[in-house]
Amino acid sequence: MSQATNGASNGALSPYRVIDLTAEIGGLSSMVLAGLGADVVRVEPPNGHPTRRRGPMLREDSDSSLYWAQMNAGKRSVTLDLADAADRERLRALCQTADFLFESDAPGTMASRGLGYDDLRERAPQLIYVSITPFGQTGPKSMWAASDLIGHVSGGLSSLVGDPDRAPLRPSVEQAYNITALNAGSAAMIALHARNLTGRGQHVDVSMQAAMANTLGNARLYYEMDGIITERAGGARAFADRATRIIYPCADGYVAFVRVPASMLRLHKWMTAEGADPQFDAERWASIAIAGNVLPTETEVVELEAEIEQFFAARGAQALYESGQNFNVMICPVNTMQDIVDSPQLNAREFFEEVDDPALGRIKVPGAPLKMSATPWQTRPAPLPGQHSRDVLSDRTHPQPVGD
Amino acid sequence: MNNNDVLGARVFDGIRIADFAWVGVGPNATMQMAFHGAEVIRVESSHRPDTFRSSGPRPAGQGSLDASAYFAKFNRGKRSVAINLPHPRGAEVARRLIATADIVTESFAPGFMQRIGLSYEEVREIKPDVIMCSMSMEGQTGPHAGFRGFGLTLQATAGVTGVTGWPDRAPVGTGVAYTDWVATHIGIIGILSALDHRRRTGEGQYIDLSQLEASTLVLDAGVIDAANTGRVARPLGNRDLRHAPHGVYPCADDHTSGDRWVAIAVTTDEQWRKLALIMDRQDWLESQQLCYAAGRLAAQDDLDDGITRWTSSQTVADVEQFLQAVGIPAHRASNVRDAHDDPQLAHRNHWWTSDHAVIGEMSYESPAWRLSDTPPPMPKPSPLLGEDSEYVYRKLCGYSEEEFQQLIVDGVVE
Repeated sequence: MSQATNGASNGALSPYRVIDLTAEIGGLSSMVLAGLGADVVRVEPPNGHPTRRRGPMLREDSDSSLYWAQMNAGKRSVTLDLADAADRERLRALCQTADFLFESDAPGTMASRGLGYDDLRERAPQLIYVSITPFGQTGPKSMWAASDLIGHVSGGLSSLVGDPDRAPLRPSVEQAYNITALNAGSAAMIALHARNLTGRGQHVDVSMQAAMANTLGNARLYYEMDGIITERAGGARAFADRATRIIYPCADGYVAFVRVPASMLRLHKWMTAEGADPQFDAERWASIAIAGNVLPTETEVVELEAEIEQFFAARGAQALYESGQNFNVMICPVNTMQDIVDSPQLNAREFFEEVDDPALGRIKVPGAPLKMSATPWQTRPAPLPGQHSRDVLSDRTHPQPVGD
Repeated sequence: MNNNDVLGARVFDGIRIADFAWVGVGPNATMQMAFHGAEVIRVESSHRPDTFRSSGPRPAGQGSLDASAYFAKFNRGKRSVAINLPHPRGAEVARRLIATADIVTESFAPGFMQRIGLSYEEVREIKPDVIMCSMSMEGQTGPHAGFRGFGLTLQATAGVTGVTGWPDRAPVGTGVAYTDWVATHIGIIGILSALDHRRRTGEGQYIDLSQLEASTLVLDAGVIDAANTGRVARPLGNRDLRHAPHGVYPCADDHTSGDRWVAIAVTTDEQWRKLALIMDRQDWLESQQLCYAAGRLAAQDDLDDGITRWTSSQTVADVEQFLQAVGIPAHRASNVRDAHDDPQLAHRNHWWTSDHAVIGEMSYESPAWRLSDTPPPMPKPSPLLGEDSEYVYRKLCGYSEEEFQQLIVDGVVE
């Protein structure tokens, strides 16, 4: 029923209903499930979710949030005042019709409203209750105040990011929140399969700190095995006690290129084809990979780097990408957001789609992050506040698996 | 503690994954399913080994393909079979294995599986309800489908690198294979939703995962903003578009064992007043301009200078304690040792010990989630290359002992 009104009948998760009570940290979890066809119900306060007023905005006014449109694509909206006992009861009743609930309040907050996992497990035993918090539900830091920045530093990633002469860095926008949300999505799917076996939902406790601690590459392993504390190395790979340069300036921006010995012959061939007349001894540089112990002198490195820099500096990022990759050289452009929108690859795959957003009108949105042959991703707009209150709250039937 | 906590629940018991994927994303995704009970069989080759088998760290003096802790990190709980896939009979072995599998994963450059006769169409002939997931850099189609890369460079294509850095300097990127930890989860969610669809309908399918497309998801509203307004996000250092002060500040600790920094993120006006009080900045408390985020954003340089002066005379532990006591987000910028020793991660038992025959005892990460009713058992150590060849050839693929020995002689079992 609910899925029919939501127009998502052939998604992989079409039979399932998700209640989304998250703040900023968890919105992406249920957005992905919505794309896979789930009926995701965003529960908002009567005056709208706070992130509806979060930029970037499409227009001058504060009611045109592109952030909201991105993070809530494909969801439906119900407004409930959780300070009101009758609305809390409506939410409990809604939970009886749902398969998943995602929440991101501080540990204990939902319980203080009579909406904790223990409050709902008897009444809604099928419910998979996913709590997403900075540090987890219990433990010495579980009540610590946090933000996205705290996620990056508490997991250790920031120590590997940034120039050595300045502070450790946050990787730009709220990626700790979003990586944590994707972890929560994986966990929810595992709990769904557990429910298929046991017939019951359960409580899933997801930690942002743990999610970010899992992004450290081999650096923590080097500490445990060899006592090496890997440090941030600017535009280079942070690798134990040595770093490999990655970022190079080019004519119109930057490219990412890793000078691995195994590709030196291809690099030489490519530079020659471009008329650059490379002077470095490709055979010798390639042999370094095989021998391993014949290290280049500092002068040789400096001379080679200068040649590469000069070659890149005379060419644009996209042109270097196209021509270098055709010579099997591992080079990538440091893309801006506009480069992504203009990407010939993404556009050839029809990654971008247009939707009619009820608040924003016709907008262009990123579409499927994966292509599924039998149950394609569905790109749908975000809802207006309370747009589906009547439909959802009057529908007390538990969604049934649809089958084909 | 109930029995599940001790024995562990194997949610995916009976599900077999023929895992042709290598390096980061694919193996990381299938490992999470192995943790929860799936039988994951890494299809490997000593002639073309997973590059992580050749990487470090590894115990001193250990050069073998079985000694890499980095490989172990991504492959605990799995089996390994050695198959020379380009060998004419290698594909036959792979086909027999696939006939017993529920899920096939691969992350080769597009075209490789076709060349060895294992395209989705061919795999489906062998196992009609199979779920096959390809996880390449930029997807199976399109002009850049064959382009090469890995997480360190893909983050540049995906837009992460370009917005990570200081505004007055070149972007730096994250220094790790960042997109690996994004695309992994899109892979898991996609495969497990397809598995549930198959349970309900009997229908398998093909999943074309582009690591590039999956990775753009973590950019928040960056892409949708550029697509509709033409605005292009730039690196902000540690600053935030909505909150101030927001940064990572130096502390007074002994720097001989590395520098010490503390992150402070003031996200509400109340937190701001408390911070000014703790720092004893009456002038900040009295300032009308600084009451609200907009005024603080405009005064960020001054605020950062003031906070830097204050933190520079404090230890990182004191700043954490003073600010957290009143609910201001603050935390040391943990380095890898801090993360290893972190009391909260220890409380979650986040680092799981694994005793590997060659590497010895090491701890590795566990999932960021904890399941109340079906916690998984401790995974077995990552497999030696070809450790389970006999099991796979004899038991799963049905070769006789004689045939198996002949396949070894013929160089199919590498």
